[in-house]
Amino acid sequence: MIPKSRVHRAQLALLLLPGLLVFALFTVYPILRLFWMSLCDMSFSSMLSQPFAGLSNYREIFQDQTFWIVFVNSMAYTLITVPGQMVLGLLLAVLLSGIRRFSVTFRVLNYMPVVTSWVIASLVFRYIFNTEGLLNYFLWKVLGVTSSNIRWLDSRWGGLSVAMILGVWKGIGWNMVIFLAALQQVSKDLYEAAEIDGCGGWGKFLHVTLPGIRGTILFVLIELTIGGFNVFTSIKMITGGRPAHQTDTLLTWMYYKAFSTGKFGYAAALSFVMALTLALLAIVQFRMMRSRDA
Amino acid sequence: MRTYRKPVAAFLACLMLMLCSCAFAESEPVTINFWHHYSAQSAENETLMNVLIPAFEAENPGIRVNAVSHEWAELHDKVLVSANSNALPDVARCDIAWLPEFQKMGILVALDEEMPDFAQVSGQLLDSAMSTAVIGGHYYALALNTNSKIVFYNTAMLEAAGVAVPETMDEWCEALRKLSGENANGQQIWGWNEPALAGWNICPFIWSFGGSLTNAEQTVASGYINSPATVRAVETFAALVQEGCITGFNAGDIPMTDGFGTGRYAMMLEGPWKSAELAGAYPDVAYGTAPIPAGEGGSVSVLGGEDIAMFSTAHKEAAWKFMQFMTSEFAETEMAKCGQIPVNKAALESDTVKGADYAPFIAAIETAKARPTVAAWSEMDNDLTVAMTAIVTGEKTAQEALDELAAQWDILLK
Amino acid sequence: MKRLRLSRLRGALVRYVLLGAATAVFTLPMLYMISTSLRPNGALYEYPPRFFPRIEALTLENYDYILHQSKFYLNFLNSVLVSVSTVALAAAIASAMAFVLGKFPSRGTRLLFAFIIVTMIIPGTTMIVPQFELATRLSLVNRLWGLIPFYVAWVIPFSTFMIKGFMENIPGEIMDAAWMDGASVLKVYFRIALPLASPAIASVSIFNFLTAWEEYPWANTVINDNSRRTLPIAIAGFFGQHQFTQWGYVFAMSVLTLIPVVLIFILCQRFFVQGLTAGSVKG
Repeated sequence: MIPKSRVHRAQLALLLLPGLLVFALFTVYPILRLFWMSLCDMSFSSMLSQPFAGLSNYREIFQDQTFWIVFVNSMAYTLITVPGQMVLGLLLAVLLSGIRRFSVTFRVLNYMPVVTSWVIASLVFRYIFNTEGLLNYFLWKVLGVTSSNIRWLDSRWGGLSVAMILGVWKGIGWNMVIFLAALQQVSKDLYEAAEIDGCGGWGKFLHVTLPGIRGTILFVLIELTIGGFNVFTSIKMITGGRPAHQTDTLLTWMYYKAFSTGKFGYAAALSFVMALTLALLAIVQFRMMRSRDA
Repeated sequence: MRTYRKPVAAFLACLMLMLCSCAFAESEPVTINFWHHYSAQSAENETLMNVLIPAFEAENPGIRVNAVSHEWAELHDKVLVSANSNALPDVARCDIAWLPEFQKMGILVALDEEMPDFAQVSGQLLDSAMSTAVIGGHYYALALNTNSKIVFYNTAMLEAAGVAVPETMDEWCEALRKLSGENANGQQIWGWNEPALAGWNICPFIWSFGGSLTNAEQTVASGYINSPATVRAVETFAALVQEGCITGFNAGDIPMTDGFGTGRYAMMLEGPWKSAELAGAYPDVAYGTAPIPAGEGGSVSVLGGEDIAMFSTAHKEAAWKFMQFMTSEFAETEMAKCGQIPVNKAALESDTVKGADYAPFIAAIETAKARPTVAAWSEMDNDLTVAMTAIVTGEKTAQEALDELAAQWDILLK
Repeated sequence: MKRLRLSRLRGALVRYVLLGAATAVFTLPMLYMISTSLRPNGALYEYPPRFFPRIEALTLENYDYILHQSKFYLNFLNSVLVSVSTVALAAAIASAMAFVLGKFPSRGTRLLFAFIIVTMIIPGTTMIVPQFELATRLSLVNRLWGLIPFYVAWVIPFSTFMIKGFMENIPGEIMDAAWMDGASVLKVYFRIALPLASPAIASVSIFNFLTAWEEYPWANTVINDNSRRTLPIAIAGFFGQHQFTQWGYVFAMSVLTLIPVVLIFILCQRFFVQGLTAGSVKG
């Protein structure tokens, strides 16, 4: 049915062209450059003249103690915040799907953290969690569950956990809205059938709801994993990598290496390692969801 | 139709050319970009924006100044990155510790070579301060202000704890232990605040304890940064941190000025700008000042200060005018009102400066030492912070960490 | 019957209590931010700390400072300019791409689409080093125009992905009728596809607006001048200065920055949900 004249083809090309140009120049070209730069030895004084250095940047990365610290940090952040957001988001979606009044109000309020920018949310959390902050006062003097101020921001895992709490807090709303929509797509007949088979609430959730939203779960899982590795602003604002880069993540460490020490080659190699890790994780997640399907 | 095209095009091209040349012929106001790290809400910045720049622009109608404030560490990084992106400013206020690194990158203008009246201008500034701008026999900047750090102590807190102002390092340790504890509200209080663990913070202790960072030629660190005296200084400092007498460098700590102003930190080592800051934010707090306590190495603080440097991509004529203005008697006297110690000889003689009681700072400058003036200092400084962090958290012993640091520094100093 | 109703009532109660608790957790930090922005800076380290400021200490001095002493208007204008340009360009480019990729399936377009999707795995900030080098070569450093093309490039894959899903759902008969009438591709795009896909474009646009409005790492890297800073860098700059932080100023500016976003979100929240879900549920 679609006409195939030359004019049509030209017009199709015209529609594609701007996108292709932007995509090629600002996405594809940087990716290729990234790979090339990761093989070059670059410093502040030679950023634009780049002697080829083979795999030395990669060697340096894997021998670097700090790399392993930040790699583990990013992994831990992802492994904790992704399931955290998904489980809590799904829980809220299930709760929300069962009520009639105020459902829009709840949805809007719970979505507020998502629209709050990272810079602002991070500063608020830093303010709440600082050693002399409101939270410590509340835990110690009001609730009495602690017996001194917890030094949230001062240690590696303390600082990271604040960033993780922020990550979960900020992400639940997004998960909730997406899961809510997915839940509405699950056919009512299936629930009725399950009820006849004698399934309770929990059984229905396991046997009808979860399989019914499997596609959404995969989508959310991959999106959130990418987001988890993308954590940057919150770390920079909350701990700034302190103490001594122990709370840095892959991205903040990459940024530090590039823009504070001028090791652009090292930073590019690090980015590449990160992209490969993400691609690998995406493939694994895809496979896992597929195999469960079969 | 076709025949007309060429003449029309030629006419248009001529028109364009004329327009362009007109635009160039007319003396467009030159804008010079000035980067600095006066903090955005400080008295210094207000003086710069509301007094100095308007005065300069009035004197030089063809020149406009675009002042850009960056945070201290960020300014350093931004200059390095901009060097590669053709986005350098014309002029910047640089920490004296950065100049060797910038010079090595080849982005600074050798003023004594390019400016015919350099000798006359630099003659108005203190020789000792100008010496911070000399690298390899050439001058790469003008001295802008100088400083050093002295002890600020909260009078009431020292009185309450029955502690005299410490004069030796032993007294200092003792005083810190007495001052630290809890206040009437049951809140923790600390004897000393140290806002970071970098060279600027740690060097005064190392030097006053008789330690050192490198040899005099600045070529070797082994045997200096891990010498017994340095190790002792660092161990003493770390022990006080672990006992809860020193804090401030953690992400969750109360910021220095707030903690001092609200009676949570009894003492701190700070520069002349602190008086203006305290007067603005915490006018009620009563405090005194004293030199850093003396150890085996004497009472040795760290030499600070800023130079004003011109970058190779600058509008040189306008930039030079601005640099002369910023180091003039007028500008330096105005800046002296908000805690910047002048290096202009005439400004130093003015009543404002004499009235501003910079005596304790000037005394400290006389015995203060400079951080190593090597191109790799920024990297060394970062290594030092990492090592100090490992020491104060108890992850490594001072000896271990400093031995490792010495090996790293030896490579960087080569 | 009565027992059933009772247990249902209890179930609803549990739901509301849990949802209420969650809502409290989500909104309290924001309320604390607003409350802090309304007190004088000197009251920040008061003891005991309080969630609500004392009524007699309430002040608008932080807002007064932000509105009159800082470059807030300029920063705000910069953010609006960058965000709106990003939204407009991304909507135009992505909808055209989505139209071709969604309605003219061929091996080439399928391959292209797969390629675009694969690049989504690499987050934008990862490429900050080569992108900075590119910006340098194109003389985009320290320019607002240095932000927009990069933001557009970042949001295009996701936007195309979402709009394409919507385009595919446009019934083939409508387009076939147009082809019979001898309409051109451009005409079908502008007259049929674009209007029908407008809900998807709207929701994607809200999403893109937020992305550009809050972007921090790239803007902080590329922009130097105070007068060219966008709101997130301006706020972060307020925070980073010196040894004491005027949280009152930081939070007053944050509140002012959030107002437009919250307004847009509440007004368009229907589009928002539609857009988010269109892409994901099919997935």
